[in-house]
Amino acid sequence: MQNIYQNPNAFAQPNPLDKRVKISVRGWQNATRQDLVSFVSRKTRIGIVDSTVEGNLVVGFVNSQTDAQSLLNWNGVRFAGNALKFEILGSGTGDAGTSKTIVLLKSFLYKRYSPQTKMLDLGNLRNDPDLATNGLFSSQTTQSKIFPAMMKLASKESQLVVESINLSDNDLRDLNMISCLAQTYPNLKNLCLANNQISRFRALEVWKNKFKQLRELLMMNNPITTEPLYQSEILRLFPRLVILDNVVVRNEAKMQQVFSIPMKLQQFFFENNELGASSLEFVSNFLTLWDTNRNQLMALYTPQSQFSVAVDSSVPASSVPNADQNPTFGYYLPLSRNLTKVSSERTKQQRLAMGPEAIDKLFNSMPKTKHFLQEQASSYSVEAFSYAQVQGFTITLHGYFDEVAHPDLDANKSTPNSAGGRNRRFNHGHANTTNKLARKSFDRTWVIVPSQGTVIIASDLLNIRAYVDGSWVAQQQAQEPLVQGQSPAPQLASQPVQPMPQNPLQPAVSGVPATAMPTAPLTLPADVQAKLNPIQLDLLNRLHQQTKLNAEFTYMLADQSGWNFDVAMKGFQESVNNIPREAFI
Amino acid sequence: MNSQSQAVDTFIKKVFAFLDEKDSQQLAPFLQCFDPANSKIIVNANPFAQPAVFLETWQRAVVQTQHVLTGLDYHVIPGTGTTICSVNGKVRFDESGRDKEGQDSAVAELAGVANAGAGPRAPAAKPRPMWGPYFGTSLQLVLDDRVFNGDHNSVIYSFNYTMVYKPDDSLMSV
Repeated sequence: MQNIYQNPNAFAQPNPLDKRVKISVRGWQNATRQDLVSFVSRKTRIGIVDSTVEGNLVVGFVNSQTDAQSLLNWNGVRFAGNALKFEILGSGTGDAGTSKTIVLLKSFLYKRYSPQTKMLDLGNLRNDPDLATNGLFSSQTTQSKIFPAMMKLASKESQLVVESINLSDNDLRDLNMISCLAQTYPNLKNLCLANNQISRFRALEVWKNKFKQLRELLMMNNPITTEPLYQSEILRLFPRLVILDNVVVRNEAKMQQVFSIPMKLQQFFFENNELGASSLEFVSNFLTLWDTNRNQLMALYTPQSQFSVAVDSSVPASSVPNADQNPTFGYYLPLSRNLTKVSSERTKQQRLAMGPEAIDKLFNSMPKTKHFLQEQASSYSVEAFSYAQVQGFTITLHGYFDEVAHPDLDANKSTPNSAGGRNRRFNHGHANTTNKLARKSFDRTWVIVPSQGTVIIASDLLNIRAYVDGSWVAQQQAQEPLVQGQSPAPQLASQPVQPMPQNPLQPAVSGVPATAMPTAPLTLPADVQAKLNPIQLDLLNRLHQQTKLNAEFTYMLADQSGWNFDVAMKGFQESVNNIPREAFI
Repeated sequence: MNSQSQAVDTFIKKVFAFLDEKDSQQLAPFLQCFDPANSKIIVNANPFAQPAVFLETWQRAVVQTQHVLTGLDYHVIPGTGTTICSVNGKVRFDESGRDKEGQDSAVAELAGVANAGAGPRAPAAKPRPMWGPYFGTSLQLVLDDRVFNGDHNSVIYSFNYTMVYKPDDSLMSV
């Protein structure tokens, strides 16, 4: 098989892509990515290519460093009602000097890292022979850049699991140089800043509420420690600090208790096993029809059945994982029976659908959807318990759906009342944005009455809200939603049911174990593996984790690089654009 | 109809106010809202055997909260004398490090300095809560229709409270 690793020149060949510079754009959300790219091209005469949306950024490439720099001059330019912000994320591969520095800093980081104690020792940097010989601490300018560069590299090294950092003996007067530590290691537990020159609280203020897990801080031999309010100010800045300069400043047990809510989030609650199984089956069948053919659901509703939809338009805090900060509810608002917003009695009555005909009409006035109950079961949470007065039970489902098509009936148009007229008059030009299709979170509660071998839905309450990751979802799972072809999420129906004794109610045990895991370890053919020593195997695994190359290509990369991790990574970075897709896992 | 939805609205706001109550003396009237014999209480998918156990846990082990009502809808289930409510809201927690009683986790002499006389040594002074970011909540209640007449006695048949989203910059672990 022909591949790039059999051609030693492949790494050295100049590639026009090498000159490309990666940039990001913020503040574009009121329009599409394509609109943004066209706008930038028109306005600045600089083309952004290979652009993709990454969270709230559009990330792409410009042809050269010059283009990237000129783009920065356009920071603040207005686009779709917002000021754009351009940032340079780095050149494709960088020049030789940069690469050398990167390799140097990386090996420095590993030299100063202790995996046993999970500590990164960055003490007394200026006297480090490696850094000094290479002139990295020769001037104020390089010094101020070297730490952020180190942190940026460290943040990409998944093997550097850091709980403690030593920054003593660095002559620090403030945190300007090291402020990025908070971004790289927000969950840091121990920090040593001893033997520096920090003298003012104001200098520490940039870290206020940043290290929410910081347990121990050492600040000895800094002028600030003689300030009268030293301890109380430090307590204010670091809310979970327990030990300051070897003195216990907080009662840890009490603090844990104060910051802990005893009712820990569970994904499921079922009053008993039978209800668990039937609830999951109901939810699964219901949503399948809801996504494909809502009319078929009418068999479940009687003339007494009720359905209504309510919009909770509150915007979740930006610190909620993946929160949609700009949700639109255009299709639902004319239907919404959120009683905290609707005041007219007539409207409250109108928006409550009773009986199959009214319910069907309301169903068809909402966008068509796709739920991901099978593909992404961990994103859904269910509680089900009996409801004696109806001789049935209630099921509440929390989760999300994608809107995939506009509704058959558009409530904005089909109700030509005075409100509709007002909308058109004052909202002209916004019709497309208010009714764009997007991902939404929801809570839905059904009151179910078993009847002659089937069920009747007595009540169906749907609440629609801005998309957020569910609180019960483990964070690592949430970060990679819906990757097709990867290890499939466990199916809802196969989840163990969380049982509850009939009566009295008792706390039940945890429902579903978290399934998040890093890239699987490398599996090599036995004959190949037998020839490798443990160091080589370790190197292969590290390369595999870093590059996500498959076993064959990881081996070739290592072999061609003389089994040197840094050389291999450098080679990989330089040729990543030329590596065929099938080389990756 | 008017009085109906207003009665529900009033009751839900009362429930939120009870949850936010710092004074444990106010628990008794909240407890009276629950049906003592059969009410089902589920919080974050954890069941509680009795309303009193839930309220005691909430009072003792959860710091001061602040709830905001953002969504409310309900259906009267005909022929049952009951109504099901779906409530959405958001809640934030006092992240000052003090519990509901005002006890600080900072060691006493430091807490005294930090709170300028607040804490155990000066219980009369009321330190202000330091509110954290909002969590999202979803609450389903099955209520007795007597609630429409302003009767709040033993009207809660079930109480299913779930924190549906959480900010990652909160100090609270849940």
